[in-house]
Amino acid sequence: MTLESILPPERALFGVPGGSKKRVLEFFSTFIAQNTPSLDSQEVFSRLVGRERLGSTGIGHGVAIPHARNPHCKSPLAGFLKLSEPVDFDAIDGEPVDLVFVLLVPEQADDAHLALLGQVAAVMNDPSTRQQLRKSETQRQLYDTLLDAIRRHASEDRSG
Amino acid sequence: MDSINTLFLLSGFLIALSILASRLSTLFGLPLLVIFLGLGMLAGEEGVLGIKFDDYSLAFLIGHLALAMILLDGGLRTRLKTFRVGFKPALSLATLGVFITSGVVGLIAMWVFDLTLIQGLLVGAIVGSTDAAAVFSMLGGQGINLNERVGATLEIESGTNDPMAIFLTLTLVEVLVGDLRGVTGTLMFLLSQFGLGLAIGLGAGWCIARLLRWLDLAPGLYSLLALALGFFVFGATSWLGGSGFLAIYLTGLMIGNQPGRHLDFILPVHDGLAWLSQIGLFLVLGLLVNPSEVFEFALPSLMVALALIFLARPLAVLIAIKPFFKFRWREVGFISWVGLRGAVPIVLAIFPVIGGVANASLYFNVAFAVVLLSLLIQGGSLPFMARWMKVEVPATITPNRRGPLGVLPENDYEMFVYKVEDQALNDVPIRLLRFPSGALISAMFRQHVMLHPKGSTRLREGDVVCVIGRTDDLPALNRLFNGDAKLDRARAFFGTFTLQGDALMSDVAEAYGLTLSPGEQEMTLGEYVSLRVGGHPVVGDDVDWHGFHWVVSEMRGNQITRVGLRLYY
Repeated sequence: MTLESILPPERALFGVPGGSKKRVLEFFSTFIAQNTPSLDSQEVFSRLVGRERLGSTGIGHGVAIPHARNPHCKSPLAGFLKLSEPVDFDAIDGEPVDLVFVLLVPEQADDAHLALLGQVAAVMNDPSTRQQLRKSETQRQLYDTLLDAIRRHASEDRSG
Repeated sequence: MDSINTLFLLSGFLIALSILASRLSTLFGLPLLVIFLGLGMLAGEEGVLGIKFDDYSLAFLIGHLALAMILLDGGLRTRLKTFRVGFKPALSLATLGVFITSGVVGLIAMWVFDLTLIQGLLVGAIVGSTDAAAVFSMLGGQGINLNERVGATLEIESGTNDPMAIFLTLTLVEVLVGDLRGVTGTLMFLLSQFGLGLAIGLGAGWCIARLLRWLDLAPGLYSLLALALGFFVFGATSWLGGSGFLAIYLTGLMIGNQPGRHLDFILPVHDGLAWLSQIGLFLVLGLLVNPSEVFEFALPSLMVALALIFLARPLAVLIAIKPFFKFRWREVGFISWVGLRGAVPIVLAIFPVIGGVANASLYFNVAFAVVLLSLLIQGGSLPFMARWMKVEVPATITPNRRGPLGVLPENDYEMFVYKVEDQALNDVPIRLLRFPSGALISAMFRQHVMLHPKGSTRLREGDVVCVIGRTDDLPALNRLFNGDAKLDRARAFFGTFTLQGDALMSDVAEAYGLTLSPGEQEMTLGEYVSLRVGGHPVVGDDVDWHGFHWVVSEMRGNQITRVGLRLYY
C-alpha cells in the first residue's frame, strides 16, 4: 500500500476556504462523505476533532496532518487541502496552517498505517515541497507537485 | 618593593594570558582547565619563565580559597528544582561512590607502586572525588545540553562529594603519621563532617538568603556580602568540625534559589570570581608542580588513571546508582565517563606534604598526572560521548536577555528580549502570534529604532522584541521564537506529533487503536509515561509502546505536560 494509491487526483483540493480549524475539518468531512459513500460526515468530523483534542496535529511550518481511525473505512484513504487563507491550528510552532494532509485509516490499526503516517510527515517535511505546493496555481499543478514529492520520497526510501 | 612589582607584573600577565588562551579551547576543543594548568607549568621552574614556586602552604591556602569560591558559585547556579531528579543519586555517588572509587584505585595503586595498603588507599582517597570546577566548566562551556537527570546528578555530585574525599584523605594521613582516633572517633568525625556541613550550610544559607533579599544595599555590595558570609559559614563550619566545602556549596544553593533583584547583582560578580578562582588555582598548581618529577611517575600514573577511568569509576557508578535508581544504561555509562577530576585531588595531595607523610611527593605527582589525564581523556571526549550515549536533548531558544522588572517582590514579572530569527515569523502580524495570555509585547526595535507594537504590526526578521511575562510563560515564548533549524532538530528528536500530557489514556488508545489494561484507562498520558519511565521523568525520556516512541517533550515540576510521538518510519 503506497501513499500514491490512496490519494486519487480528485481528493487534492485547491483553494479551500479557511475560516477556522473546525471549519476546515468540517469541510473535509462533508467532502469525503460525498466522495466515499460508506463514510458518514458527522463521524469523520468527530473522530478528527477528537484526535485534535489530544494535541494539535499541526506539525509546524504551516502544515497539519489530521488523522483518525474510522470503522466504516475499509482501506486507508488520504486527502489534501490547500487553504486559500491560513488558519490558526494550535500548531507546535504557533504558525497558521495552509497545507492540510488528512489521513483516515480503518479501525484495525496496524503498522502499515503508522508507516503511511510517517510517509506523509516525511513528504511534508521537505521545505522545497512545501514551497512548490504553496506556489501552485491550479488544482492540476497542486496534485502533480504532490505526487512528484511522494514518488521522490518513495524512491529515496527504497534506495536509502 | 621589587617583589611587589614582580607579583603584579607576573600575576597580571599570566591571568590575562590565560583568559586570552581560553579562546584556544573553543578553537581546538582542548579542555580549558588543561590550558590553565599548562600555562602554569610553562611559567614554572622548568618552563619558559622559570618562576620558582614551591610554597606548598601558600598553594594550600589559595586552593582552599579558590575551591570555596567555586563551590559557592556552583551552588548559586544549581536550581533547586533539579534536586527533584538529581539529589538522591548524587548523594549516593558522593558517599558510597567516592568510597568505592577510592578503594578500587587504592588497591591498584598499592600494586602498581608497591605501597602498603594504607599508602595505596591514600592515593585512592586523594583522587576519589569529582571536581566541581571541572564538571561545571566542561558542562557549561561546551554548549552541551544534557538531559536533566544526568546533568543534575553530575552537578550535584560534584558539589557534594568533596567532604567524603577530604575525610578519607585526612583519616589516612592521620593513620600514616601515627595519629589515630580509633574507630568511634573516626566515625564521629565522618558524621560531624557531613552532619554539621549539611545543617549549618542549609540553615545559615537560608538565613543569608533572607537577609540578602531583605537588605537594601548599594548594588555592588550584595555580591560582596554573599561572599563574605559564605566564607564566614565555611570557617565557622570547619571550626566546629563540619565540612566547610559542603556548607558553602549549600549556602550558595540557598542564596541562588531565593528569587529577588539581589541575584542580578550577585550572579555576574560571582561568575567572574569563579573564573578568577579557576584560573588562579590551576595556574598556581601548574607552577607548583615540577613536570620532570611528574614524568618520573608517568607510566605507573597512567595505569592508575586508566584504572580510575575504566574500572573504578564505572564500578562505583554502577553500584551506587543502578540498584537504587531508574537510570538507563546509557545514562549510567555517561555518568561513569564524566568522572572528571580537577583541582580537588591536587589540593588534597598537598595534605600529605603538610601532614609530613613519608614520600609525600609521590602522592602529589601521581595526583597531578591522574588529573591531567582525566581532563584530557574524559574532558576532551565529552561532547562526543554525550552524542554517542544519547544523553543530550535539543536546546531550545532562550531569551537573549532577561531580567525582573522589580515591580512585585514576590512572583515578579520579567522582561524577555528575543531576536526574531525565524523566517516563518516574517511578515506575520502580532495579533496572529500564539502568545501566552499573561504576556505582552511591550516594545519592538527595528534597525535601532523603537516601534510601538500594535496587533497589526508585522514582524520582520532581525526585529528585537521585548516581552513582559512570567517565568511560566517561557516555554511557550521559546517555542514561538524558535528558529526553523531548531524546530526541525526538535521534531527529529521528539517526534512529529505532540500530545497533551493531560489527555486521557482511554482517548489516546481510541485514537490509535491501542490496547490498555483496566487500570490504565483512567490515567492521563502524562501519568502513564511517567509510570513507564519509572517515576521522576525528565525531558527526553522515551518509552517504546505500540510502534511509537513516546518522548517526554515538556515538563512542569514533576508533571509531564507534553509528549512527543515519534514514528519508526
